[in-house]
Amino acid sequence: MKVGLFVTCLVDLSRPSIGFAALRLLEANGCEVVVPEAQTCCGQPGYNSGAREISKSIARKVLAEFRDCDYIVAPSGSCSGQVKVHYVEDLFHGEPEEPEFRALAAKWYELSDFLVNVLKVSAVPGRFEGQVTYHDSCSGLRELGVKRQPRELLEKAGATLAEMPEAEKCCGFGGTFSIKLGDISTRMAANKCASIHQSGAKVIAGGDLGCLLNIEGRLRREGDMETRVLHYAEIIAGEG
Amino acid sequence: MQVQSMFFKRNASMKLDDPALQKNMKTMKFVDARARAVLDVDCWQEIRTHAAALRDRTIANLDAYLVEFERNATRRGAVVHWAETAEEACRIITDIAKKNDVRKVTKSKSMVSEEINLNEHLEAAGVQVVETDLGEYILQLAHEPPSHIVAPAVHKSKEDVADLFVAAHHRPRTTIIPEMTREAREALREHFLTADMGISGSNFVIAETGTTLTVTNEGNADLVTTVPRIHCVITGVEKVIPTFEDFATLIRLLPRSATGQSVANYLTLTTGIKGPGENEGPEQMHIVLVDAGRTKFVGSEMQEMLRCIRCGACMNHCPVYQNIGGHAYGWVYPGPMGSVLTPVYVGIENAGDLPNASTFCGECQVACPVKIPLPDLMRKLREQQYDNALRPWSERFGIRAWSYAVQRPRLYRTLSAIAVRVAGWFGRRDKLIHWMPGLDGWTRGRDMPAPQGKTFREMYAGRRDGGRR
Amino acid sequence: MSAREAILARIRKAHGREGAAPTEAELTDARNVIARRERGPQPSIARPADREQQFLRECDRLGTTHAHAETIARVPAEIARYLDANAIERRVVGWPQLAGLDWVAANVHFDNRPVQPTDHVGVTSCFCAIAETGTLLLLGAPEMPKKTALLPETHVALVSRARLVDTMEDAFALLRAERGEPPRATWFVSGPSRTADIEQTIVIGAHGPYRVHVILVP
Repeated sequence: MKVGLFVTCLVDLSRPSIGFAALRLLEANGCEVVVPEAQTCCGQPGYNSGAREISKSIARKVLAEFRDCDYIVAPSGSCSGQVKVHYVEDLFHGEPEEPEFRALAAKWYELSDFLVNVLKVSAVPGRFEGQVTYHDSCSGLRELGVKRQPRELLEKAGATLAEMPEAEKCCGFGGTFSIKLGDISTRMAANKCASIHQSGAKVIAGGDLGCLLNIEGRLRREGDMETRVLHYAEIIAGEG
Repeated sequence: MQVQSMFFKRNASMKLDDPALQKNMKTMKFVDARARAVLDVDCWQEIRTHAAALRDRTIANLDAYLVEFERNATRRGAVVHWAETAEEACRIITDIAKKNDVRKVTKSKSMVSEEINLNEHLEAAGVQVVETDLGEYILQLAHEPPSHIVAPAVHKSKEDVADLFVAAHHRPRTTIIPEMTREAREALREHFLTADMGISGSNFVIAETGTTLTVTNEGNADLVTTVPRIHCVITGVEKVIPTFEDFATLIRLLPRSATGQSVANYLTLTTGIKGPGENEGPEQMHIVLVDAGRTKFVGSEMQEMLRCIRCGACMNHCPVYQNIGGHAYGWVYPGPMGSVLTPVYVGIENAGDLPNASTFCGECQVACPVKIPLPDLMRKLREQQYDNALRPWSERFGIRAWSYAVQRPRLYRTLSAIAVRVAGWFGRRDKLIHWMPGLDGWTRGRDMPAPQGKTFREMYAGRRDGGRR
Repeated sequence: MSAREAILARIRKAHGREGAAPTEAELTDARNVIARRERGPQPSIARPADREQQFLRECDRLGTTHAHAETIARVPAEIARYLDANAIERRVVGWPQLAGLDWVAANVHFDNRPVQPTDHVGVTSCFCAIAETGTLLLLGAPEMPKKTALLPETHVALVSRARLVDTMEDAFALLRAERGEPPRATWFVSGPSRTADIEQTIVIGAHGPYRVHVILVP
């Protein structure tokens, strides 16, 4: 089973350890993982900025790079949503290329969804004793239905989930929104940090690096150097 | 209402630092109330789907349903007027007032009347206008526009209201809410009974019978539409629905989505003027059907916006709205619906920041009772801005530069390796970037965790001798 | 071109159609859709096992108080009891059709006239009541002014069990069957008036009545 790993641009730039965690998790479960060399980005930043033709070019590039894989897995709800929802239902909807993108989307999985629902893993390599609170990233949750899967995996690693109030509320990242409307974004991040503190957990996990950078950035600016901010993959692959 | 949407960013930042607004916004409980109410309806999702389809079907034949509505309303003694623009609508209603010696108007809530600045026009013609919805009455005393389409005075505290009432009613000041409500009831009762003309909005108009209707809790719309000798309805052309049954479907959705009520207190359906033998009701009924930009949506890629039933669920659930309130949006409709309507109605160049003030979290789309894909509509407006070069050149340049690099893997590898080192340098001290050029919007309020040092690409290539494949 | 023609023409053009008015065929199609009177999906609460229980449960949620009268002749006595229990003077204004009940025996003063601002209690019947939502439907008619139910602080409504239906759709069907066309005023009342416009605090009693009391009769 040839599984293509879509690393995501943020992981590539800012936190390769997440990409390596994903790699380890897939290989530990018998996948032959390929990491197409030319991959860069799913195109969402341009798409959400209204650059439609650019988004389509980038989508075609992604298709070319990954079409021969049996599955494609990404440690990100928003990139996966871009491919599974926006490529198919918006960018190429009603166009001759739609079937090809539909086929790509059908093979494409957010990492926790792949581990739980395709590989049906019974155990994970990582061990984590202690409380973890979980932030549901908007795209993963509302576009892809990712909710239970990462929590299940964290519990398999031994973690106890301490749910925060309003776990499903947007953290304020929103891609370029975090810079263009930075004040509103900061307030939303501050609200999320307050929720995290209310949970009592000292570790907050999530499935999208954009959210995690936003949350960690605000925690540190508030003076909280203690709360750890991790991608769930880092915890369950044994790097937590 | 005056258009202030061009000052969105500045106003939003001010509202974030406004402790009174922040405190008052926290009194809103609509999200929880809606969640509880929806549990009572075991086929909620099916009803949403049915409602979206019925709205779409109606808009697909909007002209036929409007004509059928007009035919039935006219048959029952109403006079139907059509207004292409805000000015025309104001002129029609002001003329009706003048022709009939109207000195006082009582008004129940109408967002369309806010769009067209109706009160100002009537007052300029010497007509006294009294808002009767409690929230709108408070705002009339404060000379402020509404900040929410269902709870217009949500941004005001009870102390604010007490101060306004003392100045207007000259009675001892009280901040006890039931007492203030009774005081308003008594102050307005006199106006209700002496008004010459009542102006109401219409949540929907029913083609089958020529019926207009209001959905309220206070009873003010009933007093406005029953007591005066002239009744004037003002509403948008998109409000027509075919049958009573369609209304029954939509009314299962509307109060629950708006406030969490299973039904609103008063559903007031008015069909024409009083019949033979009836002695209650106005002598004249006028219905003004307003376009004012609505037909721009018809047949367009944003047509779904016309499904809107004005429940306010989108803004209730919007984390951006929750933090900045409605006034920052600068016009009649705040939140996600405002981010779609305002640019189209007042010009995208006057409201450019609104469709950008969203993370596309999707809460609005999930909450919308008629499944309007609000994030997609906001994105379409961003596309219009991009195609027409309406964003700052730095943004446009940034996208072009990013797009150039991201489609050229070797160039991207080089540039990203450099970027990571540069960013790392800015965060070298404590692995946190406290500031970096281009990142101002972020670093004003947050640090940025420094990158780990090398790109994944570099590390993977290093591990696997150039990488597999 | 009139505003009407301009608006209709713009709508038609947006849909790829010519002209400034719908064609006869298009109007016929619209009327056919209307005539089908298609109902939307009906939730379980629209088909209650016990219609009266559902109605009373919703009344409780709305703050509508309720009582039973074995026969319509017992209504004045029940109203007397209700007014005493709420410390309201035994003076009511009501619809002419109720004037013939024995108010004198119950020691309640009944005024058969249009309501005035100084009246505290209005007594009406209703066209039907809706179980799904605890709603009363009042249809305007020459001897049935809405103001009697709207202006006073207390509204007492007689609801006949035989006129209790499951849903609003059923109420509309009954209206069509019995009246054909709706009268000018078709008014659905669900509980005493309320507002939450000040700090989102719910206050019962805004511009309409503070109290709604339903008396179920056969």
